[in-house]
Amino acid sequence: MTIEEYISSGIVEGYVLGLASDEERNEFEKMCKQHPEVLAARTAFEIALEKQAMENAVAPPSFLKNKILSGLNFSSENTIAPAKVISLPAAVPAKNLSWLKYAAAACLILLAGSIYLNISLSNKNKDLQNTYNNSVAELNEVKKGMEIPSNPNVKMAAMNGMDISPKSFATVYWDTASHDVYLLANNLPAPPTDKQYQLWALLDGKPIDLGMLNYDLKQKKLLVRMKNAQDAQAFAITLEKKNRANVAVPEGDMYVMGKL
Amino acid sequence: MASLRQRNEKAFSYLYDNYSSALYGIVNAIVVDKEIANDVLQNVFVNIWKKIESYDASKGRLFTWMLNIARNASIDEIRSKGFKDSQKNQSLSENVDIAGSTSPAIDDVGLKKVLTKLKGDLRVLVDMSYFQGFTHEEISKALNIPLGTVKTRIRSALIQLRTMIQ
Repeated sequence: MTIEEYISSGIVEGYVLGLASDEERNEFEKMCKQHPEVLAARTAFEIALEKQAMENAVAPPSFLKNKILSGLNFSSENTIAPAKVISLPAAVPAKNLSWLKYAAAACLILLAGSIYLNISLSNKNKDLQNTYNNSVAELNEVKKGMEIPSNPNVKMAAMNGMDISPKSFATVYWDTASHDVYLLANNLPAPPTDKQYQLWALLDGKPIDLGMLNYDLKQKKLLVRMKNAQDAQAFAITLEKKNRANVAVPEGDMYVMGKL
Repeated sequence: MASLRQRNEKAFSYLYDNYSSALYGIVNAIVVDKEIANDVLQNVFVNIWKKIESYDASKGRLFTWMLNIARNASIDEIRSKGFKDSQKNQSLSENVDIAGSTSPAIDDVGLKKVLTKLKGDLRVLVDMSYFQGFTHEEISKALNIPLGTVKTRIRSALIQLRTMIQ
């Protein structure tokens, strides 16, 4: 194949249009280096193709230019030697200054946003921490309460309602070793505002004061710790007037009572 | 050229002003849909920007290089899954020429206008290989023509193209 035949074989067009195989491309690139006429034919077709493409150009929508150029990470400012900028700050063009202004404004906005976010996150974190601490405290309380009945030293007295309030029911857990007394008010009617419940230990028919029951407290805790009892055969709860003179003697009605 | 290699913004802006329309023409000839063509043109410039280092002037003119980037980006797009899905809702007639019928229903702009001057079977071959990026082997299978014949006919089409363009 002569050079003329090679040039007119379609390889020039195939190469330029990107349709040639790798093998054909390699050969063609070699031929271009060895034969100026091949290179000339290639350049001629490229120019013709370019001209043809220019004549049939379709203008893209105008908004596209900004979108496309802003999507590229230009190193444009880097082409100015950094030392020059530092040593001649006054020579920085006004255009760059305005750019800096916008950048500074943007930084401030970002900083403000970041601070706001930090504060609100910090507050949220504090709230969560408080909720968590409360939950842990409550859980420990409940755990402690649950441990009491399972302690082998602890005896239980189920106090059933008296005639005056048959549905009332409360439970006493008494630790025979430590003498601690815990009260579980399963079901006691809310007392009138001027009265309060009082727990008693009964020993040989005599009542021993074990303390007043804070009715509100019962709503919050499963087991309420009362005064210690050295010895007891039974327990009872009476409804007493608030602030009476001698709290060691029961005066009001008995609501519940139960033996160990 | 040096300022392009340094990825200078002004140089790219110049490049865009001078060549985006010509490249958009080729992108449109391949992907047709304007919205998609916009995305593809963006990819074209991203690719030019990324690959400018590898441009070798001894292997061809800058425009030829960019034109091939535009063609490849467009063909990548029409071969992508997303594009194929978006075409499913369109009428079959637009896709008939992909299956190898005799009369491509395409906008006759740019190179495609030149194509219309080619004889029917040559036109289909050039359309499939240049505008749709099929390999000779794929065309041979799709049209049930021997591979050697596909190559000869495309060569012949390219020779005709040359005289038409010049």
